[in-house]
Amino acid sequence: MKTIALLTVLAIGAFLLYGTPEFPAWGDPQAPAALHVSPYYIEHTIEDTAVPNVVTSVLADYRGYDTMFETSVIFAAGLACLMLLRRYQPKTQETRLYRHVPTGITLRIAQGGKIPEASDEFERIDSQWVPYDLIVKLTARLIVPFAQLFALYVIAHGHHSPGGGFQGGVIYGAALILYAVSFDLRSTFRRLSERTAILLSAAGVLIYASTGFLCMLMGGNFLDYGYLAPLLGGDPVMARSHGIFIVEIGVGMAVMAVMVSLYYNLASAGRHDEGL
Amino acid sequence: MNILATVLLICGLFFFFGGAVGILRFPDFYSRLHPAGKLDTMGQLSSMIAMALYAAQDLSLNAILTALKIMLIVAFVFITSPTATHAIVDAGVRAGLLPWSRGIRRGEE
Repeated sequence: MKTIALLTVLAIGAFLLYGTPEFPAWGDPQAPAALHVSPYYIEHTIEDTAVPNVVTSVLADYRGYDTMFETSVIFAAGLACLMLLRRYQPKTQETRLYRHVPTGITLRIAQGGKIPEASDEFERIDSQWVPYDLIVKLTARLIVPFAQLFALYVIAHGHHSPGGGFQGGVIYGAALILYAVSFDLRSTFRRLSERTAILLSAAGVLIYASTGFLCMLMGGNFLDYGYLAPLLGGDPVMARSHGIFIVEIGVGMAVMAVMVSLYYNLASAGRHDEGL
Repeated sequence: MNILATVLLICGLFFFFGGAVGILRFPDFYSRLHPAGKLDTMGQLSSMIAMALYAAQDLSLNAILTALKIMLIVAFVFITSPTATHAIVDAGVRAGLLPWSRGIRRGEE
């Protein structure tokens, strides 16, 4: 069986290598890909979509289908990771550990024991408790809001500069992950619970797809944002620009939520306790 | 302005070079983090200031905004880079890695 697999792989590799010299040279202006659609995109982007950044208009408008399914792939990856890794434990925990913050004493509370009220004095910990680092915590506190602001800027500024939903979503997710790394997973769940993260990732894909269906309802093709002009105000060209923006918001939401939910599952091995 | 930017840029490259040499030449984990943390921060500080000066040459609003954005990068790296070094050293201490001393050769404990 292994030999058959090896032979198949070698044969396919040989065919691919055989086909490689037929490719046009790197950056060849006479290559078929550069002759047919690219000049159209480059010449007509501004008059079609009012978006100065050609990459954004190709990504979210001319090839909107492609990006929609890319977003779905990210969503599916998040779901797959959740299904593979998430371990649901029964709610009735046998013993819990609490740490009294001012003194540093750890309390073990047996099943049925009185659990301390939620306050700053007691924090729930798991067996591996590592003392927090004040410097790292403070720096994360300082950096996270700026990183989130920058992520929103990248999403919103994708029309004019490199950026857009994917990049902005990743930065936003990284900001939340930075928070989770420097604090712990439980305090991150208080800001963005697992449930909210999954709902947000689904909502992002939903925003994208429903924008497409809205265009169909208004009488156009799927993801033909020009037909949204009566809803958004302005002419069809500006409507395409706004449509791209709506779609980018959806992409950003999905990417951010999937990043965070992947981290939740990977960092705690699916147990969703204290984490790293 | 151009001359000042060039001098700062060369200064920054010098610091980067020193940092790279230090990472390669120093004997152990902790002392390697010293050039990695300090010299890279200093190198990026002076080279970024050089770029900001170069960008803000014609004193138009756009150029000044660009320079301000570069200075924002400087500020953030100035905060985060030492913190990252601190966190790495902290992890090393917690994992029980002993600092290098004259008696112990590299690779031996």
